[in-house]
Amino acid sequence: MSSEIKVWIIAEKPQGTAELIAGAKNFTDNVTALVIGPQERAEQAVRLGAGKVYWLGEAGPGMMWEDYTDTILSLLQQENPALMLVHATKRGKLLAGRLAANLGTTVLTDVMELTWEVDRFKATRRVYGGSAVRQERALTGTTIATVGSGVFTPLPEEAGRTGTIIEVPFVEPKIRIKLVEKKKRETVSVNLPAAKRIVCVGRGLARQEDLGLVEELARLLEAEMACTRPIAEGLNWMPRERYIGVSGAMVKPDLYLALGVSGQIQHMVGANQSRTIAAVNTDKAAPIFNQADYGIVGDLKKIVPALIARFKAE
Amino acid sequence: MVINNIAENTKKLGAKQTRGETRMNIIACYKIVPDEKDIQVRSDRSISIDKAEWVIGQYDLNAVEAAMQIYEAVGGKVTALSVGDRQLENSKLKKGVLSRGPQELFLVIDEALSGADTNLTARALAAAARKIGFDLIICGEGSQDLYSQQVGIQLGQILNVPTLNAVSRIVAENGKLIVERSLEDEVEVLEVSLPAVISVTTDINQPRIASMKDILAAGKKPVTQWSLADVGLNDANRRTEILYTLAPEQAERKRIILEGESEEVLDKFYELLRKAI
Ligand SMILES: Cc1cc2nc3c(=O)[nH]c(=O)nc-3n(C[C@H](O)[C@H](O)[C@H](O)COP(=O)(O)OP(=O)(O)OC[C@H]3O[C@@H](n4cnc5c(N)ncnc54)[C@H](O)[C@@H]3O)c2cc1C
Ligand SMILES: Nc1ncnc2c1ncn2[C@@H]1O[C@H](COP(=O)(O)O)[C@@H](O)[C@H]1O
Repeated sequence: MSSEIKVWIIAEKPQGTAELIAGAKNFTDNVTALVIGPQERAEQAVRLGAGKVYWLGEAGPGMMWEDYTDTILSLLQQENPALMLVHATKRGKLLAGRLAANLGTTVLTDVMELTWEVDRFKATRRVYGGSAVRQERALTGTTIATVGSGVFTPLPEEAGRTGTIIEVPFVEPKIRIKLVEKKKRETVSVNLPAAKRIVCVGRGLARQEDLGLVEELARLLEAEMACTRPIAEGLNWMPRERYIGVSGAMVKPDLYLALGVSGQIQHMVGANQSRTIAAVNTDKAAPIFNQADYGIVGDLKKIVPALIARFKAE
Repeated sequence: MVINNIAENTKKLGAKQTRGETRMNIIACYKIVPDEKDIQVRSDRSISIDKAEWVIGQYDLNAVEAAMQIYEAVGGKVTALSVGDRQLENSKLKKGVLSRGPQELFLVIDEALSGADTNLTARALAAAARKIGFDLIICGEGSQDLYSQQVGIQLGQILNVPTLNAVSRIVAENGKLIVERSLEDEVEVLEVSLPAVISVTTDINQPRIASMKDILAAGKKPVTQWSLADVGLNDANRRTEILYTLAPEQAERKRIILEGESEEVLDKFYELLRKAI
């Protein structure tokens, strides 16, 4: 560990702040957290291990979180930290991209693993839909990287930790987008990575009404329901929190049962850590059969009821 | 007006505005990528894309469709734009994008753009867009191969115009846009002045399927090809260096595949599942 390297972090939510501070502490004692929100969040960042907090204040009504981009940019330009970690939410990605473009650099996105070697950060990420893992490094001054949830484990909060909190004046954005309205979105909380059994549906499920049948099977198996991306985005038959894959959840259950899932790499990369993979698909040539332990070539509408009957009879 | 509902738009438009005031020059950005199904893994886990067929990024079709729907509502022009290496010369891919509606295609082709990072891609797009002229640039949610979800954002910032990601609905109104932005746990409604660059979600629309007629017509549309020098970009340096690209290690699977839906086969499958839980 070195106290020389300066690492900065920013996240929308406290959980993100906690994870990124922990990640930054792998490289340095010199961790600065940028906090937008109530002062209590700045104090919490200190308890989580940030030696310094730039407290940017609380976004007023009609303001976007991203309106702080110019404020953050001027801080970055003054202090040139070696690394700026941004929590990979949609807002975080917008912030990271705008900062990078202003600094003439690029963004290392959705980093899975980060290492420091000699004088540069190296980051690995998935490319080609998950067909490959790539390591790259930024060649410019400040490296900007986005990191999603679950990469770093937060340190426990400790009241004894000390740090300075510096209030930063707001820099009026050069470009402003007017916020007209905010609507809450229904979200479901589901912990797919922790599931022991998963029943996953794909587009082979022709009608939304048939979901009931699959749910019954999942209940009998004490399994979580999951889906492919088009079922959640596009068809909107299931919440986004339930889709598995490179841009969704990464799971590792004992049993992953795929119903009407073709088995494209973007999906399978999220499921291929499962202990047993089983699949039902009408197409004998579906790629999923090459990646499954057990498969049955057939119509899920016939096979699911037959399985339900058998599990019920137990 | 709501771009997702063309009939309604046209009605509202007629009442309030003349076409001339709202016409928009729209650029839709798309990337072509090697089909990941054709990626070959060598014994040392390095990968080869030499045999891969190239395709238009799945999520960039939503960008082209979003541009077309705005055009159909308010008039103007849709131009498709892509930057990359010689793979872009593929005539099937040129027709592929033009058959989905854009009136004209611009390509910046340069070996220096082969495997470019998001910074270089955005700078090349910015240089081309300035030369073409635009009111609005639409990008996809992410490229199919890298899925950095960055190029649109960086492009907007380089052009020094408002830029947004995650846009799931667009309403073009009096020379500005009202957009919805779908975030993790909220939806924002925003007013965006033009010119602007927006990146759209994959569920903003259903991309249209081109008919035979569209494909034939596509062959007659103008295509302009530039080099980096043509668009005045002299610095083609990368901001990142790739250290390695390797296929992940794969778990061996049993691959016991049963066929048929007889009671016997179903019993067997049930037994296999039971043992797995
Ligand atoms: C950048 C990028 C990121 C992506 N990220 C993800 C991701 O994270 N997760 C994800 O899931 N996808 C992702 N995708 C999409 C992915 O490429 C595939 O398009 C998607 O996974 C396919 O979903 P599917 O298997 O449900 O549908 P399809 O590919 O359409 O497959 C449906 C299957 O059902 C079978 N079938 C049809 N009828 C029946 C029946 N009656 N009984 C049984 N089987 C039947 C068919 O034979 C077929 O194999 C991504 C794509 C891109 C470009
Ligand atoms: N080489 C390119 N040419 C044109 N548009 C691109 C290119 N690369 C990316 N884009 C656009 O930028 C979006 C985001 O790309 P990425 O940041 O690579 O995920 C894509 O969906 C495209 O619309």
